[in-house]
Amino acid sequence: MSAVYLWLCERAGIDKIWETLFARKVPHAKGPAAWLYTLGSATLMIFTIQFITGALLAMSYAPSPDHAYDSVRFIDDHVLLGRLVHGLHHWGATFMVVLTALHMMRTYFMGAYKYPRELTWMVGVGLFLLVLGFSFTGYLLPWDQKAYWATVVGGNIAGQTPVFGPYISKIRLGGEDMGAATLTRFYAIHVLVLPALIAGAIGVHLFLVIWNGISETPKRAGKQVAP
Amino acid sequence: MSCCEGGSPQPETPEAIGRRAFLSRAAAVLGGLIGAVLAGVGLGYFISPALRKKVGSWVDLGRAGSFKPGAPVLVEYTQRKRDSWITSESRSSAWVVTENGKDFTAFDPRCTHLGCPFRWHAEEKKFLCPCHTASFDINGKVLGGPPPRPLDRYETKLENGQLLILPKKQEHA
Ligand code: HEM
Ligand code: FES
Repeated sequence: MSAVYLWLCERAGIDKIWETLFARKVPHAKGPAAWLYTLGSATLMIFTIQFITGALLAMSYAPSPDHAYDSVRFIDDHVLLGRLVHGLHHWGATFMVVLTALHMMRTYFMGAYKYPRELTWMVGVGLFLLVLGFSFTGYLLPWDQKAYWATVVGGNIAGQTPVFGPYISKIRLGGEDMGAATLTRFYAIHVLVLPALIAGAIGVHLFLVIWNGISETPKRAGKQVAP
Repeated sequence: MSCCEGGSPQPETPEAIGRRAFLSRAAAVLGGLIGAVLAGVGLGYFISPALRKKVGSWVDLGRAGSFKPGAPVLVEYTQRKRDSWITSESRSSAWVVTENGKDFTAFDPRCTHLGCPFRWHAEEKKFLCPCHTASFDINGKVLGGPPPRPLDRYETKLENGQLLILPKKQEHA
């Protein structure tokens, strides 16, 4: 063992941390079912990629109606590897929703949400909504025809809400109509509000996963399962 | 598959590596590879401004014959510039010097010390900078003051009797 490693172990207990986080006991899953346990980690991986590529994109993106579209074109055509970074974020956004949904389905169908993991599930529901929030706010940012009209449609759906509809619509758009204030609102939510919320929620979610351990695969009727 | 499937440890033999060791090594290698590619892509994107070539375009400053020999003039011009995703028109200027009416020199109007705009003083026949009292001769050579190098020049050329310059910020280490 290197001296640095020992030094860190004595002072920060990194060996204990490693043991708790990575060398913990996991259920003895067999065959394809074992792969289903990777969905949460896969979601986490995509989230990390979204975080990095998003930070890079923000360096060359201008959230204003007269420059948003051009700045995205600039990233695609003039920034080194810009098209790749933009592409990773674009496809990552879709995969993030798909993987989160699949992960949710696996924990549902395996009954992993039951005692004592109800709280993990509840925080998970919050995470799912946050992921959808990212999708919705991010979709507007390229400020092209698809982005613009998709958000108009999304907004009109929310506007149909009885009684509160018109207010919801104005708050969301930052005014009467879609415009500069809509774009800055969506941008601020996409890059500041949601990342802060999801980072906290993921922290709690993962803490609970480690605290409770991973649940066993469901067994045929009559067999005992460890909680 | 044997009964050992799953995470249970296997006897370590000197030649063969166990399933657990193999998997953790594979995970480290694959993870490292993915991480390296991502880091490389991110780094390339981040540092790309340093690698981008400067492009300038020639600007027409008017008839070459209109410049009096021995009398530097500050010529103002408008230039369409690409500023990342913004294309803007900006006004800039250059000092044009000719001593014989045939060979032209164009100076960047910013002092090579810290960038102040200097002026031609006809009585003294010097370029003087008001900020820290630098002085340059008509060829841009430093005569006094703190500037580390002669005045910066723009490329020039004559086309059909018109004087063209290529305004470009100089790179200095
Ligand atoms: C940003 C989105 C999410 C991330 C990054 C994430 C991450 C993870 C990870 C890494 C695990 C442990 C490995 C695994 O069982 O797959 C896990 C477990 C779990 N997740 Fe998520 N998750 C997310 C969203 C959700 C959602 C939307 C739900 C459900 C509403 C949910 C419910 C659960 C439950 C109940 C467990 C415990 C599973 C068990 O103990 O067997 N998660 N999550
Ligand atoms: S900037 Fe000209 S002398 Fe300092």
